[in-house]
Amino acid sequence: MKRLFALIAVLALVVAACGGDDDSGGGLLETVQDRGEVICGVNETLPGFGVVDDAGNFSGFDIDFCRVVAAGVLGDADAVQYVPLTAEARFTALQSGEIDMLIRNTTWTATRDGQEGANFLYTTFYDGQGLMVPAATGFTTLEELADGNICVLTGTTTELNLTAVFNARGIPFNPVQFEDNTQLRPAYEQGQCDAWTSDASQLAAFKATIESEGGAEQFIMAEVISKEPLGPVVADGDTAWAQAVNWSVMAPVQAWEFGLDSGSIGSYSGDNPNILNFVGDGDFNPTLGLPSDFAVQIVSQVGNYEEIYNRHIVPIGLQLAGSPNDLWTNGGLMYVPPYR
Amino acid sequence: MTQTTIEPPPEVDPNESVVWYRNVRVLRVVGQVVAVATVVGLIAWLFNNLLTNLDRQNINTDFGFLDRPTNFEISFDQGFDPRSPVWQMVLVGLKNTFLAGIVGIVIASIVGLIVGISRLSSNWLVARAATLYVETFRNIPPLVIIIFFGFAIFTFGPFPLLSEATQINFLGTDDNLLILSNTIWGIPGFVAEDNVGVFWITFGVAVLAAIGVAIWRTQLSDRTGVHHHRVRWALGTFLVIAIIGHFLAGGAWSMSWPVVSENGRRIDGGFIMNFGFIATALALGLYTASHIAEIIRGSILAVPKGQSEAANAIALTGFQRYRYIILPQALRIALPPTINQYLNLVKNTSLGIAVSYAEITLLTKTSIGNGRPAPQSIAILMGVYLVFSLVISLLLNAYNRRIQLVER
Repeated sequence: MKRLFALIAVLALVVAACGGDDDSGGGLLETVQDRGEVICGVNETLPGFGVVDDAGNFSGFDIDFCRVVAAGVLGDADAVQYVPLTAEARFTALQSGEIDMLIRNTTWTATRDGQEGANFLYTTFYDGQGLMVPAATGFTTLEELADGNICVLTGTTTELNLTAVFNARGIPFNPVQFEDNTQLRPAYEQGQCDAWTSDASQLAAFKATIESEGGAEQFIMAEVISKEPLGPVVADGDTAWAQAVNWSVMAPVQAWEFGLDSGSIGSYSGDNPNILNFVGDGDFNPTLGLPSDFAVQIVSQVGNYEEIYNRHIVPIGLQLAGSPNDLWTNGGLMYVPPYR
Repeated sequence: MTQTTIEPPPEVDPNESVVWYRNVRVLRVVGQVVAVATVVGLIAWLFNNLLTNLDRQNINTDFGFLDRPTNFEISFDQGFDPRSPVWQMVLVGLKNTFLAGIVGIVIASIVGLIVGISRLSSNWLVARAATLYVETFRNIPPLVIIIFFGFAIFTFGPFPLLSEATQINFLGTDDNLLILSNTIWGIPGFVAEDNVGVFWITFGVAVLAAIGVAIWRTQLSDRTGVHHHRVRWALGTFLVIAIIGHFLAGGAWSMSWPVVSENGRRIDGGFIMNFGFIATALALGLYTASHIAEIIRGSILAVPKGQSEAANAIALTGFQRYRYIILPQALRIALPPTINQYLNLVKNTSLGIAVSYAEITLLTKTSIGNGRPAPQSIAILMGVYLVFSLVISLLLNAYNRRIQLVER
């Protein structure tokens, strides 16, 4: 596996090298339009955000935002090719041009923005790192985990947060690093770890799955130990593509704010000029490289933010109302620049 | 009948020079130059591509990151400080890779030798059991065996949580000889005291003395024909001097017994092994043993039958026959392919990542995932395995040359 990984990393860079020379002619936006397909790097093992079923169909919150971009740029939400990526391979795939965009519960950090040559766009989900313990232990604070084994996925920001927070509080602990959740979950359930740390949304998803599959009752500690803004990422250096993705991704939030959903956006008959601009009536053309009806395509094919959230995140046990992901008019953080 | 005349072959003037493109010697040189140039050119082109493209995307290509803090803890390594630089993390990974490799090699050699000999046993059950072993392990990918051991021994295995660990005491005392749990195992270990420096000097003396004694016994045996027993003599000399050194230094080492901490989450003292290490070393040891067993079997069969028969004729016992006649000759044949197996085993320790064993590959991946540059990290990783493999093959090749049959 090590050799395979090394080989892939090197090959990816080589491919990047070869591919890099000939895309000097047009931007990625044109390439995608010519190809008629958006290549989207995703997670395929995370309930709620990205999972693949037995038939090979992808679904989830992040998956829907791939569809949003495809609907906005190409007018067809299904024109997406999904590339499942591990946490460590995702940026290499982006740098090498293997994928057009990455939306894989990826936290926006300064290092990634800088060193990885990544360009983070609108945050689609405000998350934070939490800790889950079996409810039977009765633990509620980090201090009770002193010297404990804490299961964590390797190659993620969670590892750094965990170390920083526990060290700052002087709590000794032992991380047990796993490569993916399929190995981590049994280790946690069988008691090899005292706690499982990850983004709170992931923990909620696994709590729901474990309990529904007859496992022990789980408890997610109230304390959130980090900020994890998750959103789409594109490679640095292609502004046109970045803008097209960004304004596509923000459209469901704007639609939600306007009170438009997948059923009503196609038949808007009011006279609010801002909404008319948004749905592409009139001569509004912001020259973003997107068709004028992009918002209509996105919302009618995929839905507004609330619909997307209700479809994927509510089933894993996280409510929208009162969370940071609520609309700014309701006291949340979802706030997009005006479409005018 | 018609007369056929055989024409004489055309005269070749030895002084006539051949055109260069038909001259074998020229063609050979040209061919080699072209081959080397192609390979070098290809590598240079790939490397240049890598650098140009990394540069274009503003990604660093230097190794400065090695001096910056690691910022994460390492699984089951209580001594590691996350503020220490990345190169120290590399050293920890090296140590863990080395440990799993060495323990795996020891297991593989012992089990491989026993199984290999057993396959040739005249006892039906022993021979079939050995065949079953070889065919089972040889035909399963090592990754699957590692994951299986991780799950079967630990995750879903028979051992309790550390807080209620099985503790096996040493001869009726309260000292733990063995602590077994589903995450870590503890065995007694030695702890170096402050004055261990003095001990290392006597340790060096002991090694030199042991080598001297071995040479002396060999020469004595060559001169007089007495059995040399050089291994016993050398080991005895080494132990006597090393133990004297330990006491001279005023107790350089102290025994450390493993104890489960009061909160049931740590083992204090002793030597601690985590589940990733045990699963990796055991799985790779047993997997490689199946290959070594086949090498041993083949090598024994390659020793001429007359040797066995001669040994029987002078009434050697079965053990003596193997120990003094068959195995010394079989070892010569077995060594080169066995070296390959050792190399494979060391490289396969990278699969330990599947059971969260913190060897060099897992740590490198973690470090890349936390923002360290991938090309440089992978380059270091490749360098590490290269050095490991080269050192092992150098040592064993040197040994191989020593025991090779000298043909005249």
